[in-house]
Amino acid sequence: MISEFLKHLFPRVVLERNLRFSYTFCLGGLAFTAFLIMITSGMLLMIYYQPTPERAFSSVLFLESSVWGGKYLRSLHRLTSHTLLVLILLHTLRVILTGTYQKPRQMNWVIGCLLLFLTLFGAYTGYLLPFDQLAFWATQTGVELLATLPFGTYLRSLLVPDGVGQGLSLLRFYALHIMIIPMGVLQLSFLHFYRVRKNKGVLPYL
Amino acid sequence: MEKTPQSRRSFLTSLTLLLASGGLLVRYLMPRSAGNRRVLASAAAADVPLGGALLFRSERIILLRKDTGFYALSLICTHLGCTVTVTENGLACPCHGSLFDRQGKVLKGPADRALIQLPVEEHGERIDVLG
Repeated sequence: MISEFLKHLFPRVVLERNLRFSYTFCLGGLAFTAFLIMITSGMLLMIYYQPTPERAFSSVLFLESSVWGGKYLRSLHRLTSHTLLVLILLHTLRVILTGTYQKPRQMNWVIGCLLLFLTLFGAYTGYLLPFDQLAFWATQTGVELLATLPFGTYLRSLLVPDGVGQGLSLLRFYALHIMIIPMGVLQLSFLHFYRVRKNKGVLPYL
Repeated sequence: MEKTPQSRRSFLTSLTLLLASGGLLVRYLMPRSAGNRRVLASAAAADVPLGGALLFRSERIILLRKDTGFYALSLICTHLGCTVTVTENGLACPCHGSLFDRQGKVLKGPADRALIQLPVEEHGERIDVLG
């Protein structure tokens, strides 16, 4: 059954020129792999993290000091998020330099831009969660920057109803980070892959 | 007229439903009294000398006294949210160099709005700062 599932991922027909490594450098596939690592490590981190202002930082310290593999897991999650963003930007660069955003792939380019924005927003919401000084001030500055946009104060009170250091806002960022944004990224990714396959694009993991 | 995949009626229905549910969602996301009208900091009136001030660092509030009474300023810089530092001549933000006077008005710097003034309530000997 597993081998049948794996076989069904491969297209029936693939163009020979699409099989070269230098066609895409596997950047999109690597980015999706990084995202899968984020999901797995994130799920494991959820077992110890407590999303309240009083407990957030101490739960992270507990994870690092008293849990076997805790320090490694937290570093893995953090470093993979940096890698994910770098890979997405390199993938975007490849798409621009090969002109893949043109007809008939314009819709996929738009989906890709949405994916970029959602991933960046996901990284931003995740940044607040350890609730240390770095997290607090980065979020504070980001939220004030958001407030300078048109309808900015309105957007700001949607995202941060009571203040960056308070409970409602941390919980909102947590909900966005662990569920709402990953669901959006997953669904858009599948749509993205469907469109690539429809345009007779690459193999899975190539 | 161009043939559209959707009739005018169904387009308007979908649009109305989308806007209505969007509006309800936004109302759900904005609770009332999410941090309003509670005492942020409290001090004894005797602790604040005339022409002086009392600093609440973790609450980011400064309680000042002038000849006509007490008033409180938020120490959150109106530029990008750093905590302003208190100096003898006024308030200075360490992040990008904004300067404010004792009233919270902007003297210099990238900030363009005055520091927020917080309501102050006097109950006998105690002064409460509300937010």
